[in-house]
Amino acid sequence: MVSALITFKDIQIHFGSFHAIKNFNLEIKEGEFFTFLGPSGCGKTTILRTLAGFISPSGGNIFLKDKDITHVPIEKRGIGMVFQNYALFPTMTVYENIAFGMKVKKAARSAIDADVRDIARKVDLKEEQLFKKVSELSGGQQQRVAIARALVLKPSILALDEPLSNLDAKLRVQLRNELKELQKQFGITTIYVTHDQEEALTLSDRIAVFNSGNLEQVGTPYEIYNHSRTEFVCNFIGDINKIDPELIESSPLKAHVPPGKVAYIRNEKVNLTPIPGDDVVRLKAKIVDREYYGLYSKYVLEMGGGSRMKTIEKENGQIGFEVGTETDVYIRLADIMQYDRTERGN
Amino acid sequence: MNVQTLKNKFGSINYGQLLLFVLIAWFIIAFLIFPNLNVYQEIFFKNGSFSLDAVEKLLSSKRAMNSLTNSFILAVSLMITVNVVGIALVLLTEYFDIKGAKILKLGFFTTLLYHGVVVASSYKFAYGENGLVTNVLANLFPSMDRGWFHGYWAVLFVMTFACTSNHILFLGNAIRKVDYQTVEAARGMGAGAFYILWRVVLPVLKPTIFALTILTFLTGLGAMSAPLILGGPEFQTIAPMILTFSKSQTSKDLAALLALVLGLATIILLTIMIQFEKRGNYMSVSKVKSALVKQKINNKFANVVVHIIGYVLFLIYITPVALILLFSFTDAKSISTSTITWDSFTLENYARLFTSMSALKPYLVSVLYAAAGSIGVVALALYASRILHKYKNSKLALALEYSLLIPWILPSTLIAIGLVMAFNIPRLIVGNTVLTGTHWIVILGYVIIHIPFTMRMVKASFFSLDNNLEDAARNMGARPFYTFRRVLLPIVLPSTLAVLALNFIKILDDYDLTVFLYHPVYQTLGVVIKNSTDAEAGIIARAMTLVYSVVLMVMSGITMYFVYGRGSKEK
Repeated sequence: MVSALITFKDIQIHFGSFHAIKNFNLEIKEGEFFTFLGPSGCGKTTILRTLAGFISPSGGNIFLKDKDITHVPIEKRGIGMVFQNYALFPTMTVYENIAFGMKVKKAARSAIDADVRDIARKVDLKEEQLFKKVSELSGGQQQRVAIARALVLKPSILALDEPLSNLDAKLRVQLRNELKELQKQFGITTIYVTHDQEEALTLSDRIAVFNSGNLEQVGTPYEIYNHSRTEFVCNFIGDINKIDPELIESSPLKAHVPPGKVAYIRNEKVNLTPIPGDDVVRLKAKIVDREYYGLYSKYVLEMGGGSRMKTIEKENGQIGFEVGTETDVYIRLADIMQYDRTERGN
Repeated sequence: MNVQTLKNKFGSINYGQLLLFVLIAWFIIAFLIFPNLNVYQEIFFKNGSFSLDAVEKLLSSKRAMNSLTNSFILAVSLMITVNVVGIALVLLTEYFDIKGAKILKLGFFTTLLYHGVVVASSYKFAYGENGLVTNVLANLFPSMDRGWFHGYWAVLFVMTFACTSNHILFLGNAIRKVDYQTVEAARGMGAGAFYILWRVVLPVLKPTIFALTILTFLTGLGAMSAPLILGGPEFQTIAPMILTFSKSQTSKDLAALLALVLGLATIILLTIMIQFEKRGNYMSVSKVKSALVKQKINNKFANVVVHIIGYVLFLIYITPVALILLFSFTDAKSISTSTITWDSFTLENYARLFTSMSALKPYLVSVLYAAAGSIGVVALALYASRILHKYKNSKLALALEYSLLIPWILPSTLIAIGLVMAFNIPRLIVGNTVLTGTHWIVILGYVIIHIPFTMRMVKASFFSLDNNLEDAARNMGARPFYTFRRVLLPIVLPSTLAVLALNFIKILDDYDLTVFLYHPVYQTLGVVIKNSTDAEAGIIARAMTLVYSVVLMVMSGITMYFVYGRGSKEK
C-alpha cells in the first residue's frame, strides 16, 4: 500500500465568526491526480489554499509525509501553484515569468537559464515564445507557462485552482488532455480544484466531493459516479432521475425500495429496449419529447401517475422512438441508488 | 492561537514597513488633522476661553456678508450656464452630426490646456480695456465703455467657458458609452432625433450631469482667480475675501471663519452627491453594445441653428488662446494696445525667457515645486494604496482611507489657511520649527490638495490588480517588498505616471493655493501671472505672462495627449 503524501488532520478554518471548514480529514497518496470537486462556496479552494499556506487553519494539522507543515511559510512547503487565471506577471516576458522563483531564490544565472529552457521544452513552449510578453500567448500557451513556472522550482506537489474555468468549451477539453499528459510525464502529485464534474471524472485518479465545507465522498471516478454515497453526490454528478414515490408505490419497484428511502436512477440506465438479467423491472411509459443530438437522443418519458423520467439512447442510424409512442421501459434494480429521506424536503 | 502561530505572526513583522507606517501616520496627524483642528481653536477660542467674536465680526462685516452672497449667486448661476454650455459642447462633438466637428472639438478642448489664473488673465487680455475684442467692439460702438469687462457678468462669462473641461472629459466619456441599440430601438418605434435625445440619451447621462453640477457649484463657491482678476470692487467673492482678510493679523480669524463656512458648504454638497451616487448609475442591460453613431438633424432650420451655435462657441473658446499665442510673438507696443502690423512680430519675448534670469526664475521655481509636489503626492498615494489594498476591510485601512479623504471635503483655501495658521509658530510635531514662509509649506500644500485625486486613481489601479499575482509571487518565495517592486509596481506604473504628469501640470500654474503659502522671494508662475494683470504691472511683465501662458499650454497639451489622447487610441 502506498503511504500518504499529504494528510489533513482535523482541520478547522474560521473566517471571522464563520466556521468554513469543520473537522476536515483526508489523505492523498504520492503520484496521485487528486481532484477537489464541488459547487462554488463548498470549501474546496479554501482547503487548497490552506495546503499551499495562504490560509492558516484555526485548528488541526497538515502533514507532508511525516512532517507537520501547518505553520511552515508558503515558499518552504514545496507546493507549486497554478491559479485560476494563471496570475502570470503581465509586465514580464514568458522567460522572466518562469525564472521569477529561481531569481528570488538567488540561483546562479546559468542554472536559471538551463532550468527555464529545460522546463519550457518539456511543456512544449517554443524558444521564440520565451521572449514574448505573456499577453501575446494563447490560452493554452499561457497555461503551459503557468505550469512551467510552478514546476521549474521542482515542487513535490502541483496545486491547480480551477485553471480551465475561464476558457471556452473546446479549449477546455484540449487543455484538459494536455494537463493529463503533463502530469503523467512528470509523475508529480497533483491536486486539482474544479466545479466541473466532467473534468473531475476524466482527469482524476481519485475525487473528493465537497459540500458546504464537508467531505461527502472520496473515491475513484467510477465509485463516485456509480456508487454515490450520498444524495448530494448522486445529484451533483451526472444527469439523474429521481423516481417519483407514487410511481414506486404503484409499480413492481415497491418491493425493492423500502418506505423512508428516496430512489434515483441515472438517465442512461433507463432503457427503452429490453436488457438481459433477473433483476430487471419493466415499466409502462409514453414518449413526450425527444432532443436529437446526432450521436444520441434524449427522451422525456411520462410514466404512470404522471411523473416524468429522462433517458438517453445511442443513435444507430435508424429512426428512433417518435413522440407520442407508448413503450416499455427496462430498469435494472442494481442501478437504483437509494438514500434515507432527509429533512431537506425528501 | 498557539505559540507557533504567534511566533510566525511576530516573525513576519517587517521593520522597514513599520517605519513607513509610522511616517504616514505622522503625516496624517501633523498635516491633515492638526492644522484643521487648529483653525477651530483660532476662531472659537480666544485667550483660552470659548468666544463667538469672529462670528459677530463676520455678521457685522458688510464686505464679508456681500462676498458670501456673491459666491452663492455665482455658484447657482454657474450650475445653469456651465451645464447648458457643457452639454451643448458634448452634443455638438459627440452626438450630432456636425460639419467640421473635429475642428470644433479642438476649440472646445482648449479648456484642458489652461486653468485658473491663466484663463482669467487670458480672457482679460482679450476682453479687457486694451483687448482686441474691446477694440473691435469699440469700433462698432464708439460710445461704449472700454472698461466694460468686469463684475458679475464678466466672471460668469469666463467661468462658464472655463469650467466645461469636466463636461468634455466625463460627460463626453459617458455619452460615448450610451448603447446605440437603444437609440435605434427608439427610432424604430418612430421617435424623432430630439425626442430620442430627451427621453433616451439624456436620462442615461443624468447621474454624470448631477455629479458635474455639484462639482460646478463647488468651483463657483470657491472661485478665486476669476473674481480676483475680473470681479472688480463690486463683485467680490469668498475666496478673494479670505485672501484679503488673511493678510492682516486683526482679521485672520475672519478669514479662517469664512474658509470654514466654505468648507461646511462643501461638506454638505459632497454628502448630497455621495447619497445620489449611491443610487447608482444606469447599467446597460445589452449583451452586445454597439458604438454610438452620430445623429443627423433632418430639420434644416434646426440644423443651421445648431451649426451656428457650434461655431459661435468655437470662436469664444479659441479667441483668448489664439490671441495669447499671436501676441506672445509681438513687441511691447502691440501687446499694450492689441494692434498688430507686420513689424510688430518678434521672438524677443521668448528669447528673454532663456536670457534673463528674472524672466526664467518663476518658471524654474514652479517647475521645481511641481516636480517635488507631484512626486511627493504620488509616492504617498502609492504607499497608502498598497496598504489599503493589502489590508482591505481592516479598521486600520478604513481609518487611513478616511483620513486621506480630508482634503477632498475641504476647499484649498481652508487647507491653506489651516497650514499657515498652524505652522507660523514653532510646533513640536514638526521638530519645533516654523514652516510658514518656507518652501516646505508650499510643497506640503501641493501634496495635500492633490491627495484625493491621486489616491482615487492610484487606488483604482491597485484594486484592479489580480490578487492572485501577489499569491503567485509569495508561492515562489518572493518577499512583500520584492513583490511590490518587481510585480505590482510595473503594472500600476503607467497609470501612476499619468497621474504624476496631470498633477505636475496642475501645480505648475496653481494660484489659488500658492497665493496663501508662497515664499515672497520665490514667486511662482501663477503669482507672477496674476500680478501682471494688475493695473500697475509693467509691460515686460505682461509680455512675459503671454510667453509663460503659451509654454504652460504647450506643456499641458503634450501631457493631455500622452495621458488621454494616446491612451484612447491604443484602446
